[in-house]
Amino acid sequence: MKLAATTLMVHSTLAAVSATGVTVTRASTVDVVTFVIAAAAVLIGAVGVVLARHPVHAALMLVMTLFGIAVLFLLQRDDFLAAIQVIVYAGAVVVLFLFVIMFLGVDREENIRFEPLRGQRPLAVLLIALGTAGVLVLGLVSHWATGAPEVAGAANGPGSNVAKLGKSVFTTYLFPFEVTSALLVIAVVAAVVLARRPPATPDPDDPDAASGDGNVIGEEQEVVG
Amino acid sequence: MDQYLPILVLIVLGLLFAALSFVGSSMLAPKKRPTAAKVAPYECGIVPDIEPPSRFPVRFYLVAMIFIIFDIEIVFLYPWAVVFHQLGTFGLVEILVFAGIVFVSFLYLVSNGALSWAPAKHLERAMPSRTSDSTIARISGNPDPLASGPPVASPDVEPAAAAASGPGQAA
Amino acid sequence: MSPSLLLGVAAATPRFRTPHIDYLSILPILIMMGGAVAIVVVSSLVRRQLRTGVGTLLAIVTSLAALGASLTQWADVADHGAKVTIAGAVAYDGFSVFIQVTVSIAMLLTVLVGDGYLRREDVGGPELYVLALLSASGAMVMGSANDLIVIFLGLEIMSIALYVLAAFNHRRTESGEAALKYFILGSFSSAIFVYGIALVYGATGSTNLPEIADYLSKNVVASNGVLLAGLALLLVGFGFKIAAVPFHMWSPDVYQGAPSPVTGFMAAVAKAGAFAALLRVFVSSFGAERADWQPIVWALAILSLVVGAVLALSQRDVKRMLAYSSINQAGFILLGVQAADGRGVAASLYYVFVYTFMIIGTFAVVTVLARTGDRGHDLSEYRGLAKRQPLLAGALAILLLAQAGVPFTTGFLAKFQVVAAAVDAHSYALAAVAMASGAIAAFFYLRVAIAMYSPAGASGDDASHEPAGAAGAGVGGEAGSAGSGSPAGSGMADPVGAAGGRGGAVGVAAPGVAMLSLQVLTDEAPSPEVAGRTVPVPALAATALGLAVAFTVVFGIVPAPIVDFAHRATLLFL
Repeated sequence: MKLAATTLMVHSTLAAVSATGVTVTRASTVDVVTFVIAAAAVLIGAVGVVLARHPVHAALMLVMTLFGIAVLFLLQRDDFLAAIQVIVYAGAVVVLFLFVIMFLGVDREENIRFEPLRGQRPLAVLLIALGTAGVLVLGLVSHWATGAPEVAGAANGPGSNVAKLGKSVFTTYLFPFEVTSALLVIAVVAAVVLARRPPATPDPDDPDAASGDGNVIGEEQEVVG
Repeated sequence: MDQYLPILVLIVLGLLFAALSFVGSSMLAPKKRPTAAKVAPYECGIVPDIEPPSRFPVRFYLVAMIFIIFDIEIVFLYPWAVVFHQLGTFGLVEILVFAGIVFVSFLYLVSNGALSWAPAKHLERAMPSRTSDSTIARISGNPDPLASGPPVASPDVEPAAAAASGPGQAA
Repeated sequence: MSPSLLLGVAAATPRFRTPHIDYLSILPILIMMGGAVAIVVVSSLVRRQLRTGVGTLLAIVTSLAALGASLTQWADVADHGAKVTIAGAVAYDGFSVFIQVTVSIAMLLTVLVGDGYLRREDVGGPELYVLALLSASGAMVMGSANDLIVIFLGLEIMSIALYVLAAFNHRRTESGEAALKYFILGSFSSAIFVYGIALVYGATGSTNLPEIADYLSKNVVASNGVLLAGLALLLVGFGFKIAAVPFHMWSPDVYQGAPSPVTGFMAAVAKAGAFAALLRVFVSSFGAERADWQPIVWALAILSLVVGAVLALSQRDVKRMLAYSSINQAGFILLGVQAADGRGVAASLYYVFVYTFMIIGTFAVVTVLARTGDRGHDLSEYRGLAKRQPLLAGALAILLLAQAGVPFTTGFLAKFQVVAAAVDAHSYALAAVAMASGAIAAFFYLRVAIAMYSPAGASGDDASHEPAGAAGAGVGGEAGSAGSGSPAGSGMADPVGAAGGRGGAVGVAAPGVAMLSLQVLTDEAPSPEVAGRTVPVPALAATALGLAVAFTVVFGIVPAPIVDFAHRATLLFL
């Protein structure tokens, strides 16, 4: 039953692609099996992130999800995105998460018994169920692709995938690409601004801040005399 | 898709290695459980009852963050390199603009000391430069905040207090 | 040496057709980003003590240059007409130029206010200007975006910089808390927005706005569920950025916690950028589907108008009150969106433009009046201000009256135009609710004004009757006095007493009798240290305030130029 449903999804995805004017081959058995495994990894990982009690386990579950997504990208023949997914997300970003977890204390467990808002959990489950059902119904009932010309060009025709991406980035999406640099500058400035600490205010609760050790960034005293 | 077969093999090998390590260690490791005293950080001495304040300086996090930012910059370079010849000068200019803007943030990082790993410098004047006034003050036994002892590890000591005693202090 | 000589292989490979870039069309954006980069470079090189000063100078020059560039653009568009450049990513028309003018002005005023704040709070650095300039460039990108992806990028650039700006004062815990709330909710809404883009792309096959419009006008989509779902998600994303009810939850906490100049900037620029993109996407691209989205905007507008006005009534903290009032104003601007015609768009643009001056001016006063540490935004701190600093009090009074929509200010015509547009579009119920909400809103603006003009040392009894009478709400005067009896009676000159008064107010407000709680809220005597306090007004902040007040009054009396400006902006857009 589940296999049938996922196969259906594969077919509908591929059909969606084909309707936009791209030639696709019928999904082979290998494709279906790979899809099922990757999709299962994505889902199990996602559920695990939410359910894992230990934050490090949750972060590792996230790696599983991100890796599954990378495999799904490969199935869509998008090699470059798959590689980026592994390098940036499964690699760097999760390492950053682990840094934060270590920074705050690994052994700190969240008290999930305590509910600040009464009844929010059943409500959340209900909303998620409704949303998922809505998306599934939309996918079955509604028309997805409509044959309008696509902007990016075929992702999986003949030729190198990265070259197509490069062409898109430097022609159609040139302006968004250049504007992204502003986003990176914001990220750098933001990282430094947020890592500052209040300079050596006498705070009885935090002996670390008062002693003025090497943690202060951007607040170093000017060298005088 | 064939080119991904080695990756699949690698994953299987990795899983096998991890599984075999567990099996091997369970077979080879001593079965006796250590006592509570054995697993304590120190076998003797005072048991710590408070958390150490923080395990890592924020700087670790900052460096990881900066790594990701420049990682993303590199990600954009790759597609450009692949179509370098088709783009020609135009592509070169565009990528230089992009990289130039991001490079400026590198300058900012260096200037703010975000990349310096040595402990932050808290240079304090060990001794004010001597003037006739300060000498008179010292001899006459006025309570001079700087003469009271070696400099303490507090960056909050106002230099102005010292400057008040001597006019030649303008930095 | 030619490039092909340089790269021997290049001759063999076919060149891509690279897009033509019309630099004038993105000049203000380039200036804003260039200014930010310049400040980063220069401030990295000069001595630490000089950084704030150099930053201020460069930021002022940058904002003025961007303003000049946008005005040049205005003349250019008027002469040569609108067009689309850089591979269809950027729209260059009256509408986009109008937004760029608005954002440049907002940026200029914010820098003027921010300089004094940075010096007083000693929170260091030109980073405030760097982030604000980049955020402003994001809003400009949203205003001139012609593609959903570009809109999303502009939205992110604007928002991420704002999240950090909210946390800028690292000496205040509230600031960090506000930033965290804003960040979590904001990124959630951004994710919803991207999902909306994906669904719209799935339904229409393009992210390019004219292509979407073209597709929708040529085809009848029989089962348009995906398209409608996409539209709904886009609307949620925009609704969050403009703080329309029910997506407003972040706004009071963030407005209260963020540094005061940043709050003014946020209220002006985030609204300008988000409304620009909202108008362009919905009115221009999804105009064919307006029967589907108009009812949703209608509901958003009514909810914002009512909830914003009613909740603002019970606020003691002036920044929090202004947050709810800004939700209420967003409801008014939505009236123009809901009308979805040329007149409605013009009315919304005019509203956004004049609101920029009003809100940044108001927050300039709030910034100046605050104590070191950005504290003391309680209403009681404003009591007797007119005696101590008549100019400051007068300026704030004018700006608040303008927000309330009093005639002979720009605020009046703004409200009038959106309501007229709603009536034109036959949304009579909406127009009626808007007018009622405007009347309620007048009450809380007047409350601040009356606090300023009431004597500083007034006893609890005098003060409790005065505002009630002035606002024509004599209801429950007795009960109000009774409710406030305990804190008012026992000498509440000390802060403990004030805290008690606040607790009492909450207790009375709980039954839901808004008028009753108001009575309690207005009648606290200020503590003695407040009564004698005159604050220094930095020259730059005074300049910003003067500009804002002058604009509000002068163009309130002679409205034609600005109305014409907004009208012509839409002529070139639709």
